[in-house]
Amino acid sequence: MIAALQILVDALSLGSLYALATLGVGLVFGVLRLANFAYGDFITVASYALIVPTAGATAEIVIGRWPWPLLVAAVVGVVVILSLVSDYLVFRPLRNAKPAVLMVGSFALGYIIQNIIIVVYDGRPKAIGIWPGLGEAIVLGGLRVPTLEILTIVVTFVLLAALVFFLKRSPFGVQMRAASEDFRMARMLGVPANIVIGTAFVISGFLAAVVSLLFLAQIGVVSFNMGVPLMLFAFVATVIGGMGSLTGAVLGGYIVGFASVLLQALLPEELRTFRDAFVFGIIIVILIMRPQGLLMPRAARERV
Amino acid sequence: MTNPLLQIDDIHVHYGRLAAVRGVSIRVEPGEIVCVVGPNGAGKSTTLLATAGVLSPTRGAIRIGDVPIAGMAPEKVARLGLSMVPEGRHIFGSLTVEENLRIGTYQRTNRRDVELELKRILKEFPVLAERRDTNAAMLSGGEQQQLAIGRALLTGAKILLVDEPSLGLAPMMIERVYDILTGLRDARGMTLLIVEESAERALDVADRIYVMRRGLVELAGTSSELEQGARLQQAYFGFGGEQEDTRVRIGDDSGAANFS
Repeated sequence: MIAALQILVDALSLGSLYALATLGVGLVFGVLRLANFAYGDFITVASYALIVPTAGATAEIVIGRWPWPLLVAAVVGVVVILSLVSDYLVFRPLRNAKPAVLMVGSFALGYIIQNIIIVVYDGRPKAIGIWPGLGEAIVLGGLRVPTLEILTIVVTFVLLAALVFFLKRSPFGVQMRAASEDFRMARMLGVPANIVIGTAFVISGFLAAVVSLLFLAQIGVVSFNMGVPLMLFAFVATVIGGMGSLTGAVLGGYIVGFASVLLQALLPEELRTFRDAFVFGIIIVILIMRPQGLLMPRAARERV
Repeated sequence: MTNPLLQIDDIHVHYGRLAAVRGVSIRVEPGEIVCVVGPNGAGKSTTLLATAGVLSPTRGAIRIGDVPIAGMAPEKVARLGLSMVPEGRHIFGSLTVEENLRIGTYQRTNRRDVELELKRILKEFPVLAERRDTNAAMLSGGEQQQLAIGRALLTGAKILLVDEPSLGLAPMMIERVYDILTGLRDARGMTLLIVEESAERALDVADRIYVMRRGLVELAGTSSELEQGARLQQAYFGFGGEQEDTRVRIGDDSGAANFS
């Protein structure tokens, strides 16, 4: 019983992290049909923003020492700006290009960001401890739950609620939903394309920053490609959920998170190293059964 | 004559290297209902999409009043008072009926006008008022067509572009939709440019008609002019391919059809 609850909390926590990352990918995909593979590198940049840009072997932490509200605001600011600049310099000139071209553009952007990090910060991983208090566990009966897991789950639920409120109640949100469903029609009714796309990049960057901080608090090390696996899982989750459906994105994130944690717990010891292979195996089975994803929005059909 | 409200002046539109529209001119005066008819692939919808800003003409000019709009972004064209009721309606199915109606209002500055207009539309389209909070995907085809018209009106449009409004609707509903469209002109002085596949229906509702074929305007004139012509050239109006030698081609949009 206790063991099962423990697994459940772990799964919820990892699923939450994936759900946030997947939403960041899914929002931009929704309005732009852009699979932004540089998203993982946005996550990486968020963590590097905490330290002084030097090639030294040890991290010199600056922003990472600030009180948490300032720290979060600074990191969010950096990534949101990066996200908007990426749109302006790379994706806006490609706006009328085919989705495949946009995707290749995002790959290129991702590699450029990684290489800039290597040049500026050096390629070796560096240890950064932020918020050491989060490593302590809260004990409830026999259950020991790390504070960080609770925080991840709570933060995710709060952000999901805020995002739903934004999308349902605010004029921007309604226009974004319309644009995700039928961008051309929305524009013909006066919805400004650049503002809607800009908003998607802002929220996407915001989510990348939050994901990065939660992830860093857990692993304690920055490296130039630390965001890549998160981005990959986010993409897989997007595809499972149904490209373009935000509810699907959240669902997909939790499915991938649960699958990872359950397999970690249930697989025989000698197979655990290959856990991700099993996760992807399950994903392939899901996709064979539902190639359009679990929740398929009408907008993901052909857009002329 | 003063400037027409909408003037399409010798536009060419290409899809890649394929020329879909090859020098089309259409003018629409304030309060007019102008229909564009013609067979599939004539370039009717392409002309509308270029006018709405979705496609850029490779040549030619489009003006709303004195403002040139060819190549302008669709959202900017919309703000100049031109709104689209597209083929297939393109309702936002995951949004509620009211959200659909409001989507074009967020860029408008006078909120009081918006609320008054919304009230008026809900009164004129009771079916939309009843289903205000349901997802638009749940509406029938005819209801969606009404929603698309109401949604376009709420952008504050002076000109409506309506693409194949009868497509996929039951005959009764087609009647209703055309009653609504002509009512817009009669009650609000709305200006309409309608693409219609059926020449008969166009003759019924339009003040003037342009007949398009293979990317060109083949014939233009007032409904009564064309109706007389149509009696003489029944075969033409049936778009019979074999009758091409009897066609009359006019060079521009002089508005007068020249029947020989």
